[in-house]
Amino acid sequence: MDNYAVEMLGITKIFNGVKANDAIDFRLRPGSIHGLLGENGAGKTTLMNILYGLYRQEEGIIKINGKQENIDSPTKAISLGIGMVHQHFMLARPLTVVENVMLGHKSRRGILLDTKETAEELKDLSDHYHMGIDPYTKIYQLSVGEQQRVEILTAIYMGAEILILDEPTAVLTPQETEEFFHTLREMRKDGKSIVLITHKLEEIAALVDEVTVLRDGKMIGTRRAEGITKEELTRMMVGRDVMFNFPPLAEMNLGVKLSIRDLTAVNDRGVPSLNGFSLDIHGGEIVGLAGVDGNGQNELCEVLTGLRKETGGSIFLDGEDVSGKTPRFYIDKKVSYIPEDRHTTGLAMNWNLKKNMILKAIGSKRFMKGGLMNEKLITQNWDTARDEYQIKAIDGDEKARALSGGNQQKLILARELNADPDVLIANQPTRGLDIGASEYVRQKLIESRNGGAAVLVVSADLEEIMQVSDRIAVIYGGRLMGILPRGADVYEIGSLMMGKRQEELAHE
Amino acid sequence: MNKKFRDSLINLGETLAMLVLALLVGALMVKISGNDPLEAYSAMLTGAFGKNPLKSQMKIYELLVKVIPLMMVAFAMSIAFKAQLWNIGAGGQFVMGSIASTAVALYVPVPIPFRIALSLAAAIAAGAFWGWLAGWLKVRFNANEVITTLMLSYIANCILLWLINGPMQDPYSDLTQSDVIPEAMFLPRLIGNYRLHSGIFILVFVAVVMCFFWKTPLGYQIELVGQGRKVATYSGANVDRTIQTAMLISGGLAGLAGWIEMFGILHRLFPDIASNYGDISNIIALLGGLNPYGIIASSFFFAVLINGGSSMNRMTNVPYSIVDVIQGLIIIFVIAKVILHRKNSSAAVKKSK
Repeated sequence: MDNYAVEMLGITKIFNGVKANDAIDFRLRPGSIHGLLGENGAGKTTLMNILYGLYRQEEGIIKINGKQENIDSPTKAISLGIGMVHQHFMLARPLTVVENVMLGHKSRRGILLDTKETAEELKDLSDHYHMGIDPYTKIYQLSVGEQQRVEILTAIYMGAEILILDEPTAVLTPQETEEFFHTLREMRKDGKSIVLITHKLEEIAALVDEVTVLRDGKMIGTRRAEGITKEELTRMMVGRDVMFNFPPLAEMNLGVKLSIRDLTAVNDRGVPSLNGFSLDIHGGEIVGLAGVDGNGQNELCEVLTGLRKETGGSIFLDGEDVSGKTPRFYIDKKVSYIPEDRHTTGLAMNWNLKKNMILKAIGSKRFMKGGLMNEKLITQNWDTARDEYQIKAIDGDEKARALSGGNQQKLILARELNADPDVLIANQPTRGLDIGASEYVRQKLIESRNGGAAVLVVSADLEEIMQVSDRIAVIYGGRLMGILPRGADVYEIGSLMMGKRQEELAHE
Repeated sequence: MNKKFRDSLINLGETLAMLVLALLVGALMVKISGNDPLEAYSAMLTGAFGKNPLKSQMKIYELLVKVIPLMMVAFAMSIAFKAQLWNIGAGGQFVMGSIASTAVALYVPVPIPFRIALSLAAAIAAGAFWGWLAGWLKVRFNANEVITTLMLSYIANCILLWLINGPMQDPYSDLTQSDVIPEAMFLPRLIGNYRLHSGIFILVFVAVVMCFFWKTPLGYQIELVGQGRKVATYSGANVDRTIQTAMLISGGLAGLAGWIEMFGILHRLFPDIASNYGDISNIIALLGGLNPYGIIASSFFFAVLINGGSSMNRMTNVPYSIVDVIQGLIIIFVIAKVILHRKNSSAAVKKSK
């Protein structure tokens, strides 16, 4: 029987009655790189946060090097040789690298700081792994990739033998990713055990020894990475029973409504994330945009609603070039947007429901009387919306944050659809909703299409894409990989999502 | 509607409870200092209202005199605060307004009526510019307005000191002060020789406008920006412009407060003309929940505290600093209330899930 560096047995974690982890078994071999694969919300990060002592599991035991341990805090985890690098870095930006490492550390020189010794040790460690980090640089002067290396360096310096990395390549450019993988391989050579949380299939093939797949909080299985095909992984990751419950196909074709040409844009970190994306959407059709998260979908939606400036390319609305306009312009042109992030973008959480219904209509004559916003008109508007969209709320005077996620989404839906949109952009419209609410939202998207709107539905949920789309577009690396008709093979979509072009597929 | 009414009653009750708590802890402090709390507070009350409130008009007028700058500056701050812009430098904007209007009054040789109008415009413009600067710095360089407004406030006070030690110094004395503005420009007194002046009408006008302001599209827009940059941008608001507008209005009102104080009471520049209005009005705005009615009520409360406090200082052994202590306690309780509410509402959200 093998010894394991980490054994997690029967781990169950419940958030608000939802099982984020359901009796998961996870075993990490010493000196190996282990991929933890799954879609967003599958429970990967939760599982690793339990191992790192940030959460306590409701059930299950954890063994480190064969010995059962009670990990009740990150401090305990660190003392057991476990280190974790989160998606969001936890570095003090004005301080130097060595100062960050020393934070919360006992100095060997009593009340004096042991900066010099620590810096030398860090330098050695950095050189050993070819990280090229100067301990005296300040954090804010470092690139994102370098900051990540600092995080890893810190973990190893603190004695981590087991290293957990949460979607480490999400913030890296391809070149940085290459270097980063090289570093990880060196660490493996030194006998360190590494868990790589990811939803990118290429990383499994390139780097990993073993892979464990999670889906909806359950463990699907652990495989040796060698010889496993991407198709097999896709099936494990996505492979639920796909519902083939199509609404009738779009009957009308109202011509091209929204035309996107060679669009380029950078993300918040300044990294190019749309790289010449083109797509036409007709009135009266739903185009589903499939793709693994973080391939430019958010940036696309934001450019299409004026929230982000494109760096190149153009957008045509009814043939008119509307590139570079403000959000107000798009609102006035009847482009509605259901954003991915309800909490910071879609709703003013501390405003009441009535006012949230008119967020985009401040100053509109419809809700004004005598130069002032009229409470009565605003209340009427809310009452109508509440009845039509079955929003469960007390009286509209409560704050948006008091609503459940499903009802929040219904409120946004009500606001955006009541604007009678010509174009509707819906970014992850059902993320985090229960089945009933999801069905309702999809139904409304279809109704909007039947009313003649050009609808773009962005979703990481393939089932949803298959259910609502008239055509399925696939995005990867900020480019359009291909357009498939409804009813296309789910594995064909999966291949495009992994970055194979449609033309290449045809040749296989 | 009923629920709304109940909510505001609860809110009022909580605020009153907070004040009572602050006064109780203040009483404890008085006790510790070896004095009688009852005596101290009754001295405060008689100091503010007189022994027989019906007969001591003077005390009531003095309260109103105090309320004018406090409420004006609190309104000014509330506009920026609603947008989550912590303009704590309203004192500096007040000073800039005073300087500009006094300069116009002393040196611009036009007929008095024009000069009054001009000085009013200058006060508002100077205050507005000082406020807008902080807004612009925030938009352009992402500079934190807490720091910039505070620093600009220091700068305003330094400009004032320089002017009244140099170019604008009183030609008839060696004192650090400016010449008195022409008497014809004084805001007329309303009743006999009492200090209550016609600036109170401007205050009433501003108060009425403020009661409607949050229902105007601009008011909505400013409040929306306070809800977060992302959601405001998403809703089609021009966030950068709204930030600058809010600071412009906020500063303008503070400048106007400077004009009223200058032409109603002070009549000349000297060091520390803004007193500590900036700090106290900050508390008034927060205690009033940024709500116009709340601000009106808490302005009166603080006028009583300040006027009563100085009498108490004279009539008993209790020092005026007890008023500062009570102010500090009120801030702590206001913050405690906000935190408590946040906890409750997040607990409610969890329950509903």
